[in-house]
Amino acid sequence: MDLVVQGLVKAFRLLLSGDPEVLEITLLTLRVSGLATLISLCLGVPLGLYLAVARFRGRELVVGAVNTGMGLPPTVVGLWVSILLWRSGPLGMLGLMYTPTAIVIAQAVIAVPVVTGLTMAAVQQLSPKLRLQVLALGASPLQFWWIIIREVRFGILAAVMAGLGSVISEVGASMAVGGNVRGYTRVLTTAIVLEVSKGNFDIALALGFVLMVLTYSITYILTIVQQRRRRW
Amino acid sequence: MKKCLVIALCALVAFALFGCAPKAQPQSKSPTGQESSSKEPVPPVSAPAGNKDVILATTTSTQDSGLLDVLIPLFEQKTGYRVKTVAVGTGQALAMGERGEADVLLVHAPEAEKKVVESGAAINRRLVMHNDFIIVGPKEDPAKIKGSRSTVEAFQKIAQARALFVSRGDDSGTNKKELELWKAAQIEPKGSWYQESGTGMGQTLNIASEKGGYTLTDRATYLALKKNLSLVILLEGDKSLLNVYHVMQVNPEKFPRVNAAGGKAFVDFMVDPETQKVIESFGKDKFGEPLFFPDAGKPDIY
Amino acid sequence: MTAVLEARDIVIRKGGRRILSIAHLAVEPGEVLAIIGPNGAGKSTLLTVLACLDLPTSGAVFFHGRRVTRANALSVRRRLAVVFQEPLLLDTTVLENAAIGLKLRGRRREAEAKARAWLARFGVGHLAAQQALTLSGGEAQRVSLARAFALEPEVLLLDEPFASVDVIARAGLIQEFKSVLSSTGTTAVLVTHDFREVSALATRVAVLFDGAVQAEGPPEAIAAHPRWGALANLAGA
Repeated sequence: MDLVVQGLVKAFRLLLSGDPEVLEITLLTLRVSGLATLISLCLGVPLGLYLAVARFRGRELVVGAVNTGMGLPPTVVGLWVSILLWRSGPLGMLGLMYTPTAIVIAQAVIAVPVVTGLTMAAVQQLSPKLRLQVLALGASPLQFWWIIIREVRFGILAAVMAGLGSVISEVGASMAVGGNVRGYTRVLTTAIVLEVSKGNFDIALALGFVLMVLTYSITYILTIVQQRRRRW
Repeated sequence: MKKCLVIALCALVAFALFGCAPKAQPQSKSPTGQESSSKEPVPPVSAPAGNKDVILATTTSTQDSGLLDVLIPLFEQKTGYRVKTVAVGTGQALAMGERGEADVLLVHAPEAEKKVVESGAAINRRLVMHNDFIIVGPKEDPAKIKGSRSTVEAFQKIAQARALFVSRGDDSGTNKKELELWKAAQIEPKGSWYQESGTGMGQTLNIASEKGGYTLTDRATYLALKKNLSLVILLEGDKSLLNVYHVMQVNPEKFPRVNAAGGKAFVDFMVDPETQKVIESFGKDKFGEPLFFPDAGKPDIY
Repeated sequence: MTAVLEARDIVIRKGGRRILSIAHLAVEPGEVLAIIGPNGAGKSTLLTVLACLDLPTSGAVFFHGRRVTRANALSVRRRLAVVFQEPLLLDTTVLENAAIGLKLRGRRREAEAKARAWLARFGVGHLAAQQALTLSGGEAQRVSLARAFALEPEVLLLDEPFASVDVIARAGLIQEFKSVLSSTGTTAVLVTHDFREVSALATRVAVLFDGAVQAEGPPEAIAAHPRWGALANLAGA
């Protein structure tokens, strides 16, 4: 019990004092996970829309892969991305290993299937006749997709929430490809792991508190936006 | 309607960028000027040409004890390199060296290190420092190992009493050392009394403490974590418990992407008399005793 | 007189099965052509093809004598309008729903005024600011009809448009719809299996059975026909 109180007190002190290292770690976490989510949005939404509507040979295989991917263990992703980015790996010449960019890549890999799968599910919940109706209203292909995206905007919002949630709290991939380098690739989750192994449970608790406040506020803002329209 | 989506998207973009801005100059002047005055005005002694990043693969003990938090900024300030410390078990650190994924290694498993050097993956291996391993366990000491004349005897008692022993089980330097000792005691550690944690030293100590088990640990990590542990030192000072750290460069001739200059700079830094003094005094103020003993320049008999 | 919309030698196969085979079917300007037939006769498929939402496996649809292809389907679609059995409104305001078709055609300036006028005409003008998905079934179908008429289509295609409206409201809506049709002179194709709608609205009837047109003629003639009359009455019951 002592530890909890101590941790909360420390967390408060860290937050109020604006400790530069905590601030830096927090901002990096936001930047990396935000960017990864944005990338997964750019890739996952079109892919999800396409898979929901398209009919082609082997579609079930792809959809199955996406659904499996929604539960990809971050450590496994970390390993794959490491193998790609290592100096001896195919992308070694880019020198991306142990950089924030590497974390962004790994987290995007984690989030893309989540965003794709949820977008696909959202589109598939629309009446198939609605797609005909939109075409019948005289929509060009571009207008068609714009309307469909608008129809599933809340589903996409949910996908973003889920994607962001899955990467911001992920530790395995960040640790593997980022290396938890102080002041460079240390994000909240890897910092927590380190502080625990250093035995600084109070700091770990404080960082955990920051992470939870962060995820809660993000989710809260998105929820507000989503709920504002559902008044009935 | 569009508004909601637009707002949400803007929030996300802003969110990604907002994190970006301050990161661009992580070490620039702080408004108070206090911190920066201690960091900034000292110009790098020799600004490195080319690759500025040095990847240091090292053991968890150097990081968890806090030694690197002192040494790395010193090195960066002196040389202008940026060190990316990847703290893993010695086994993995050596494997990174063997694959050319790191530029310099700071590890503590002399036998395994020699093999890496012989394979040509590492060069310029230098003795840096030592501390010692200790056997810690619950105060009650169920296997009565306190007062044992040697580590081998203590290990035999633990095995005989089938008292819980928590092993790192992660191919780290400590783990390698521990397995050597079991071998010397002619015991194959197996059974419910022998548990492998598969984690770093800090975690393993926590587990041993919670479960009331014995474990082999380096002194530095134990001292750093002592305040949270209900473990006491039960055996120390045996010659077989010496824990020796070497630093070595990954061979740039074998792996062209290795930062040769950076790796060499770090090796030189670690054996520099000034650095050795820092190592000697590290931890004295906090724990009342040094955590590491500098050895650079002494004959390397390990 | 050339037909507005004409199907020639249309065959549609799905999964190797021939589900539609129409040698010839024409929609003349100003007429209301009812397509009747039992469930599974291919009525909705035929309507989809006539609305240029799907290209036939072989044969073609002609619009004002011009063959409809993948390339010109969009421009033809923009001169038609379709109302389905479900209202299929978009998740936005009622007004936006009624205006969307014109906006998609780039006619933004007149869109909302026209949409308001047509909503009023179908008695749902007061709902303009409401969210479309909050409407009752009958209200929603009225919005759907207003949305179609706002486009001033050359042919209005309807797929059982009154089936989802509850019985009490249905007769009133059919009457309103009829007066709008005749005052605008809109050409229409009405798919239904309710013969009361046929007798109220249609000027001509085509009977579809097993994917083929079995009979064509004025409603009275079809109703009097020994075989098709029975089918019509059965369907209307």
